[in-house]
Amino acid sequence: MTSTTNIVKGIAINFKHGSWLISEAQFVSPGKGSAFTRTKLKNLKTDQVIEHTFRSGESVDLIDVVRKKGQYLYKDNENFYFMDNETYEQFSLPKSAIGDNSRFLLDGTDVYILHIDGNPISVQLPPKMDFKVIQAPPGVKGDTATGGSKEVTIETGTKIKVPLFIKEGESIKINTDDGSYVSKA
Amino acid sequence: MLNKKTIQEINLATEKIRNFFNKEGFLEIQTPILNKIPGMEPHLTPFETSFTNDTKLYLNTSPELQMKKLLANGFEKIFNITKVFRNGEIGGPLHNPEFTMLEWYRKNANYEDIMEDCENLVISLVNSKTINYQNHQINIEKPWERISINELFIKYCDINLLENKDFESFKATAISKKLDINACHNWDDIFFKIFLNHIEKHLGFNKATIVYDYPSSQAALAQKKKSEPFFAERFELYIAGVELANAFSELIDANEQRERLIEEQKLRKSLNKTVFDIDEEFLASLESIIEPCSGIALGIDRLLMILLNKSDIKDVILFPLENYLNK
Repeated sequence: MTSTTNIVKGIAINFKHGSWLISEAQFVSPGKGSAFTRTKLKNLKTDQVIEHTFRSGESVDLIDVVRKKGQYLYKDNENFYFMDNETYEQFSLPKSAIGDNSRFLLDGTDVYILHIDGNPISVQLPPKMDFKVIQAPPGVKGDTATGGSKEVTIETGTKIKVPLFIKEGESIKINTDDGSYVSKA
Repeated sequence: MLNKKTIQEINLATEKIRNFFNKEGFLEIQTPILNKIPGMEPHLTPFETSFTNDTKLYLNTSPELQMKKLLANGFEKIFNITKVFRNGEIGGPLHNPEFTMLEWYRKNANYEDIMEDCENLVISLVNSKTINYQNHQINIEKPWERISINELFIKYCDINLLENKDFESFKATAISKKLDINACHNWDDIFFKIFLNHIEKHLGFNKATIVYDYPSSQAALAQKKKSEPFFAERFELYIAGVELANAFSELIDANEQRERLIEEQKLRKSLNKTVFDIDEEFLASLESIIEPCSGIALGIDRLLMILLNKSDIKDVILFPLENYLNK
C-alpha cells in the first residue's frame, strides 16, 4: 500500500474499513489553528457520502484506481449494465454504486469505469456533459440582469435550473458533479 | 460573475453596516494594508513584498494591532472595513486569499458587550426574525445561543477539557472514545480535529450561536479568564455552520502580551514559518491603555453569503483568485 500526504480531490483512499473517492477537498484554518483539509468522501462500493476533516499533511493509504472507458447500455430494477470499450465485455453494477450519476445516464453514454484490483466498482461521468432540453416553460420576459431562473427537463428526465433564456430543443452544458447549469452547449 | 442585483445588494448591506456603527457612535477609520510588521498568529502566512530599498513589507492579515494602537491614542469606539490577505487560504466555499474584514473595538467593554453588538448588527441588516440560508431557517432574535467550548466538548464528545489539559491525557481520552486524532502532534491539533469533525457542523443552524471561552493557547491577544486561566475571553460567531467572527476581551497588560508574543514566535519557528519581530510600537501603546477593551474581526464576505443566501464565497466576490490560480 502506498501512502500520500497530499489529500486532494480525485484520489481514492482506504479509510474506516472502506474504499473511498475524495470528491471534494477544501482548506480549513480554524482561526488560530494549524491547517486542516475538509473532505467529502464517496464510498466506491455503496456511493454513500461522508465528510471527514484530515490534518493537512496527514498520510493516508492510497488505493490504485484504474479508470477505463466504457459505455452505459441499459438498466433493470436492480442493476445498471455497462460495456468495457476495449474488451467489449459487458458487466453490471448495482444501483447503489451508481447513485446520483443515474440522473445523467442515457443509453450509449460514454463513462469512465473505475476498477480496483481488476474489478469494476463504480462509474465516473465526464465533469461536464451536454443534454437536450425536452421540456421548458415558455420564456418569461424580464430583466436578465436579475439572474432569474426556471426549471427545465433534459432528455434523461432530470430537472435542471437554468437561466430564463433557455428554450425547448436547445442543448445545454451541465456540471455532473452538482447538477448545475454551466452554459448553452 | 456577480450580476448587477447582487452587487447592489452587497452595496446596500455595506451601507447598512456603516449606518449601524455611525448610529452607535463609532468612528470609521482606515488602517494601512501594507505594513512593516505583520500579525504573529502562528498559523497565518502573510503575503510578502519589499520596498525599493529591500525593506521587507507585508500585506496585513488583520488590522488588529493598528486598531489597538488607536485605542491607546485616545480613540474610544472605532470601526474599520478593510481588505486583508492570507496566503495559502484557498479552495472550498469559504476562502479567498484576499477578503474584506470588518473590525470594531470598544473601550470600557469586554467580550460580552461585543456579543451584544453582533446581535444588534445582524438584526439591523435583516428585516425578519429569521435568516433563510440554504434550506435552513436560522433564528436571529435576541438573545442568541451562547455556549462555551468546554460545554460543546462535553455535549458532543463527552470530554471535559479541564480534565484533559495536557497532550497525553487529551490523547488518551480521545483514543478511548475512538475519535480520530491521526497526525495530531500537539494539544491544539487534537482540539481542532475533534472540533472540526464532531462539533462545528452542529453550530448555528437553529439559532445564531456564540461559542465562547477558547483555550488560552489559541488566543494570544486575549485576556485570560480570571476564574480559569486555561481559557481566554474569546468568542466566535456561527451562523449555519459558517464561522463569521472572532472576538476578544483584549489583553492590555504589556508584559504578559510580550511573553505571549514570544511564545508565538517560538511556535512559528517550530512550524518552520518566518519569525516576525515583535511590534514594539504596539506593546508600548498597550502601556497607555488603562480601561478594559474588547474588539472583533468579522468576515464581511461570509456574512454577505449568509445574507444573500449564496452557497459559495465566490458568489459574493468579483474575480475570486481561485478562478485564476487553477487555470
